[in-house]
Amino acid sequence: MSAVNEGTGSNDESISRRRFLSGATTAGAVALSGLTLSDEARAQAAAGHTGDAALPPNWFEGPDPSIPKLGLRWAFSATVFFADRVMINTMDSPSGRGYTSVGGGEIWGPRLQGRVLPHSGADYYKTTFTTYYMLQAADGALIFIHNRGTMRRFAAHYERGTPLLPPPAPPAKQDLVWTRFRATPQFTAPVGPHEWMSRTVFVASSQRQANPDHTVFTYYEVL
Amino acid sequence: MRDFVVPKTDTKILGTIELEYAFKLTAHYDPPQESHTPRGTFRYQDIVSGEVSGARITATVYPDSGGQYDTVRSDRVRDVDAHFMVKADNGEWLYMEHVGYRRTDGYYRAIAYIETDLKGAYEWMNNTTFVVTAKESADQREVVFYYYIAN
Repeated sequence: MSAVNEGTGSNDESISRRRFLSGATTAGAVALSGLTLSDEARAQAAAGHTGDAALPPNWFEGPDPSIPKLGLRWAFSATVFFADRVMINTMDSPSGRGYTSVGGGEIWGPRLQGRVLPHSGADYYKTTFTTYYMLQAADGALIFIHNRGTMRRFAAHYERGTPLLPPPAPPAKQDLVWTRFRATPQFTAPVGPHEWMSRTVFVASSQRQANPDHTVFTYYEVL
Repeated sequence: MRDFVVPKTDTKILGTIELEYAFKLTAHYDPPQESHTPRGTFRYQDIVSGEVSGARITATVYPDSGGQYDTVRSDRVRDVDAHFMVKADNGEWLYMEHVGYRRTDGYYRAIAYIETDLKGAYEWMNNTTFVVTAKESADQREVVFYYYIAN
């Protein structure tokens, strides 16, 4: 686990990619012509998705009933593998710009399956990340993702009703730090089965993993 | 195009997100002015005033500091793009940006990004992602935004 990983112990509904794949039961013929998918993603796409009810939504409310509730529901996850890492100037310079290219990856979950189109873009980050690349759904549809991200570090994982405190000054043990890494994608999806993505707001948690260098994005649909 | 072989990993759904209600903002706009553009109907509304209230902030929208710059799409959903400045009751400034959609039922979903003084009372809003819901009044002159922190 690298320093930017979030605490994961609080997620009782954690589902592994393999478990998700083996649990997909809905039969459905999905055109895969011309797509290079891993065996797992191919099996998953052929099995169809498990429907919107794969995980129940979580609803959140304000202190009084006049405030509209907001719900989050897991839509899909993306495992994105990186290729090149380049830095122009340094991060503390106003002209600092990072480049981390997207090698490829997989999309899995109840509402979208497919792959990250290989070498289709990158994260061109400053202090916040800004990625542009392409997804390809199992039916072949190309979906553009423009993803903006924010990151803050805290002393401990968020718990409802408890204020978040700044992390201890370095050199602190990294396991005393919780990094809240949030991504907010805008998708441009073609008219058809994926067009709902072009009118839906999402928020994602994002966790960097080492060996190999990849990040897992868990995308929640804002209901 | 180069190909890519996906390595074997056993990734999980990682990291739940919990929303925490933060504050509301009532925006008062001039009537919309629409123009036809190659992208669709562009819809501009000047922000005349507004009020921010919540447990952790009381503020007002700085008059004429921006507005809403939307595009009406072919599916009648509006791409929402709102920018303006807010001045808190302690004198500190905040820049607020909203990106999202107004659906055909009049309800909004958006993400808000806020930038403010690194040494100020609202520093906690920097690099914080806000998930926003909003509803427009029938005459479209008032929009009430509700901001939740994505923790």
